[in-house]
Amino acid sequence: MTHIDQVPTPGAPLPVEIGVKAGAARTNPFARVFDELVRFAQSRSLFMLHYCTGCGAVELPPAMTSRFDMERLGIQPMVSPRQADILLITGYVSVKTLKRVILTYEQMNSPKYVIGICSCTVNGGMYWQSYATAKKLNDYMPVDIYIAGCMPRPEAVIEGLRGLIENIRTGRADAWKDYYRRYDYYLGNQQRLFGADWQTSTDVIAEARHYDLFGPATLGAHTALLEQHQRPLEALEMRIEIPELMRRRSRSDQDGTAQ
Amino acid sequence: MATSPTTVVDQLLAGLHLPDGFDAVAGVIRESLAHVTNSAIWTRYGQQSLEWLIGMNPVDRLFMLSALTLLLMLLLGRLRSAGVLAVLLYGAQFAALLSTDTLFGAPVAAEVRITVADQSLHWSYDALSWFFAMITIGAAFVTAWYAAGSWMRRYREAGQSARAFHVALALNCFGMLLLVGSADLLSLFLGWELVSWASFLLMALVGGPGAQAALKYLAYAISGAMLLLGGIALIYSIGGSFEYGAVVAAIRGMTDVQVWTLLLLLGGGFAVKLGLLPFHLWQAAAYAEAPGAGSVFLGAISARMGLFGIIVFIVGMIGVSRLMTLEIPYTFMSSRELIAWIAALTIIVPTYTALQQHDARYLLAWHGIGQGGYMLLGLMVGDAVGSAGGLLHCFNYAITQAALLMAVFAVVHRTGTADLNQLGGLVTRMPLTFLVLLFGIISLAGLPPMAGFVSKWMVYRSLITEGMPLLFVAAVVGTLGTILSVYKLIHNIFLGQLRVEHQGVAEAPLSMLIPMLGLSALIFLAGFIPGPALSWVAQVQGQLGLPVVPWVLGGIVDPRGGLDMIWLVGILMAGFGVGALVFYGFGGRSRRVHQLDNYAGGHFLTADVHYQYSDNFYAGLMHLIGPWYRGAFRWLERSLAATLDLVSFGAEGLYRVAQPTLLMLAAAVAMLAWVF
Amino acid sequence: MDWLSAMRLDALAAVDFHWLGLVLELMLMPLIAFVAGLGLVLMLRKIAARLQRRVGPPLLQPLWDIIKLHAKETQTSHGLIHEIGIVMAIGGYVAAVTLLPVPGMNGLAQQGGLIALLYMTMIPSLGLALGVGQCANPNGSIGISRALTAMLAYDVPMVIVIFGVAFHFGSLNLVHMIAAQQAGGVATWGMVQMPLLALAGLFALQGMLGKQPFEIYVAPAEIATGPMVEMGGKFLGGLFVMQCFQLYTGGALYVTLFLGGGEHWLTFLFKVFVVTAIPMTIAMVFPRYRTEDMVRLFWKWPTMIGLLGIAFVMN
Ligand code: SF4
Repeated sequence: MTHIDQVPTPGAPLPVEIGVKAGAARTNPFARVFDELVRFAQSRSLFMLHYCTGCGAVELPPAMTSRFDMERLGIQPMVSPRQADILLITGYVSVKTLKRVILTYEQMNSPKYVIGICSCTVNGGMYWQSYATAKKLNDYMPVDIYIAGCMPRPEAVIEGLRGLIENIRTGRADAWKDYYRRYDYYLGNQQRLFGADWQTSTDVIAEARHYDLFGPATLGAHTALLEQHQRPLEALEMRIEIPELMRRRSRSDQDGTAQ
Repeated sequence: MATSPTTVVDQLLAGLHLPDGFDAVAGVIRESLAHVTNSAIWTRYGQQSLEWLIGMNPVDRLFMLSALTLLLMLLLGRLRSAGVLAVLLYGAQFAALLSTDTLFGAPVAAEVRITVADQSLHWSYDALSWFFAMITIGAAFVTAWYAAGSWMRRYREAGQSARAFHVALALNCFGMLLLVGSADLLSLFLGWELVSWASFLLMALVGGPGAQAALKYLAYAISGAMLLLGGIALIYSIGGSFEYGAVVAAIRGMTDVQVWTLLLLLGGGFAVKLGLLPFHLWQAAAYAEAPGAGSVFLGAISARMGLFGIIVFIVGMIGVSRLMTLEIPYTFMSSRELIAWIAALTIIVPTYTALQQHDARYLLAWHGIGQGGYMLLGLMVGDAVGSAGGLLHCFNYAITQAALLMAVFAVVHRTGTADLNQLGGLVTRMPLTFLVLLFGIISLAGLPPMAGFVSKWMVYRSLITEGMPLLFVAAVVGTLGTILSVYKLIHNIFLGQLRVEHQGVAEAPLSMLIPMLGLSALIFLAGFIPGPALSWVAQVQGQLGLPVVPWVLGGIVDPRGGLDMIWLVGILMAGFGVGALVFYGFGGRSRRVHQLDNYAGGHFLTADVHYQYSDNFYAGLMHLIGPWYRGAFRWLERSLAATLDLVSFGAEGLYRVAQPTLLMLAAAVAMLAWVF
Repeated sequence: MDWLSAMRLDALAAVDFHWLGLVLELMLMPLIAFVAGLGLVLMLRKIAARLQRRVGPPLLQPLWDIIKLHAKETQTSHGLIHEIGIVMAIGGYVAAVTLLPVPGMNGLAQQGGLIALLYMTMIPSLGLALGVGQCANPNGSIGISRALTAMLAYDVPMVIVIFGVAFHFGSLNLVHMIAAQQAGGVATWGMVQMPLLALAGLFALQGMLGKQPFEIYVAPAEIATGPMVEMGGKFLGGLFVMQCFQLYTGGALYVTLFLGGGEHWLTFLFKVFVVTAIPMTIAMVFPRYRTEDMVRLFWKWPTMIGLLGIAFVMN
């Protein structure tokens, strides 16, 4: 078991490539219209999973209910990470909570967006000196929007969400791709915090491979460390073993010799 | 008539009305047969016996083949290849059946008469007999196939006698053929006893809890036989003859009190076998604990013999219209409503008992009892569609239950358990078995597009058009309970989390898979094109004097609401096509993930902790109706069971020896000798 | 007649059949149902919003949701049955709506009838149940167990209503029922003729649509939306499509049985929307019942009302 101190420190964060639309190379006008339509639908329909850490969560009910009504922007709360588009982190994240936040984030389907509400998610806020909280959320997962304030008012929350909607519509909100492209960096920070045997049940590398989201920094020293102890995470594929017939014969042969 | 296998095959092929394209296939068959017929042994023995066989009348031929099966199993049952031989022999029986054109809705009537000790025994096969004989032989055929390979090897390895199994199966089949062909009261009783003891033999084969249950069954069967004997004595004392023709006349001349007595005696006797309330308590354990393949056979057809008796005597001879005139004193009910309500309760109570089972075998066995209620209910409604539905359900249910039990025993074969709390997630390991079970449960629950839907639809429809609201609701409540418990069945076995110890489980062996898949194809076809089965049923109705159902290939035509399954299944498949287009055609590629990559409220799942919901599956419902079980149902069961235990205790004391089965057989023979 | 000659007769009968018209109907009916269903979903959310004094979603919100969900770039599947389940859930309803006659189109209503329709609508539930089962998530399984229990609860009054209606019209054929109701204007509507059954039917409809007092099987805070817990992307999108069909089928069936079907599209859709608005409005002012309380409730009041209704119908 690698001790936590032996986990290599991740290099300085590479610049996040926000705004570089992968599909921008499309030349077919119909495809472009289609992309526009999809992006519009994506910006107009946002299901959020509010992971109510810290104090900021109390600002969400007014933002959702009759006073500000997020639903007119197409935003509605959802329950499980599979259904959600937005992961809303509403305050300080303790180390123990962060594990769950990462698990939840990895279980969400892309495109997915992270919003850090409250100053505590930006730089630790008033918990800066705490040994038990993670300071910067974007060390552990790409964050699309920070809404600073201790705590931000619902107007600010709505304003932030509007910003996200605008980013999605214009195709600039693709920070989620960064998690796949520079998985090694994020994983490294996670390992530094949780120990070298840190692992979630989502196979991010295989996912990146499957969806062609591999980047130059997906693999590295930290993913190598992960592979040393990773539980197998391949899906249970359906299996029909008709060659069973052959095996049966050989077994009955054995029976014959035994008698 | 110059007969050779070639001409027989020609006849058979002609009888099948195959399209022209099959000529080539027929040619190959003929050619390979020519090799056989040219051999010396063939010309010496084969030719002669074949001519003899062809010259027989169809019933003789069927009985002969069935007795031959029994004899060969008795002699050769020990051999490794006995299983394959049994399949061939049952296949031959089925071919003999086909030669009567049963499959095409125009069965020939034929009879046999033998005289024993001045008393003639008379068998006559008509549409009803052929219908039941077809289900019986079909069930025996698939059972024998299922048992022929890997299953039997395992069975032998467990120290059981293959011969005993083969003999028991052949005896069951033989007994049932005798029973369904009986044309006088003596042959009926002979067949009845043979069936009872043969099924006892099959249940008691492996000992343990199975033998316990079988002994319990025995107590029931003996009392049922006594009732039956009483009924026969009553008829004889009035009509003075055992022949059915005389029986019909005798019943017509009976007073209402006499008919009531007869109804109670015969009805009681048959109800025991059918497992009607309150005589149903023996059945689940006896069928579930029988050795796997035996359980398949018993579950598919055995209890239907009771229904056969009811059809012949109560529906055929007494007649539903007579039943309606038999008022129960001081109530508004007639005897027909009484029976219909017994049928309805037989649907509901066992079905909801099934809902509580933790053992897949027991769950299905309890449903078997409940499904018998639908058949009786349909017959008691007595109109064209209802009685056709009841009869059709015999066939549909037989193929469904056989497939379901086969699938469950295939799982037992691979995993060693039928405990619904010890399984899960097997769909990735046994996908074909899953498919078979899926077809089976859709049919058992009576949902389109499978066979069970058609027959249940017919029963519902007749209940609506005949204006029986409460019975209709009871029937639907039974169906809903079935849906609940079959989902639990498929969920707890095949869906959910795959357990660590089942990671290496393989698909069921081919010898078991082939009959299973064949049956599920049949389940689908009988739902897609119910016409053929309806044509058999229509023949039976005509022969019983019931109104005949207006059937077409796709179902029923009726201005008041018909059913055309070809259209329904077609549109359902088209709908699935659209669904697949919406799902697969639009949208991103999906990626399969590991079962532990799952939402658990942020909890990290590990393989050593089961993340599966299986126990007390319908907790909410059980909060409400659970106490009812403990109250009413349990009380009924306890009191009946206590009486029974007392009786079976006595019986057990009587037969407690090292080889109970042999002794039972001896006792059966002795009893038959005593009876005649 | 043996069935082989029946087969030939059927084939002959199929030749002189208005294929083109029928095929067109079979394609149009699900499409209309879907579009109307989108409208119903919007109405549902608007009603909820208005009752909570909110603005509510914009006009095309249900469509954006479905497009967004299908356009997800990563989609989590738990295996083939998970996918087939969604296909069955959509496909079953696509098939079911063709059995439900609408103005000018009978589709397959002559071949099926009321019971066939009722059982056809169970196919999507079965598909969903299978799909959820494969997700290997106990929250989902609990949800399904509750949903099936709910079905057992509301189907008892439902089948009583269906019995009463079928008995009243002397037919299981939905086309006949509509014709009989339209023969004499409002006075021959099922609602006027059988008010008790109509009431029981409305009760059952509330359960059938899984709306508020009876949505214990979703219970977001307890079992994380139950059946939907592992459904993301187009899996959830498929369920949204299914919901559109479900709302439409429920509303249209009620209109067909009690409100005289539709003379033409305008009145038909108007009736469907009105009927569907009732359960939704009721839903928004209720918390939810526990499973057993729900069963108890359904087996008591609507069942009693329904039986009383049958007693009137049969005399
Ligand atoms: S920023 Fe302020 S309000 Fe928000 S979590 Fe930190 S301490 Fe609480």
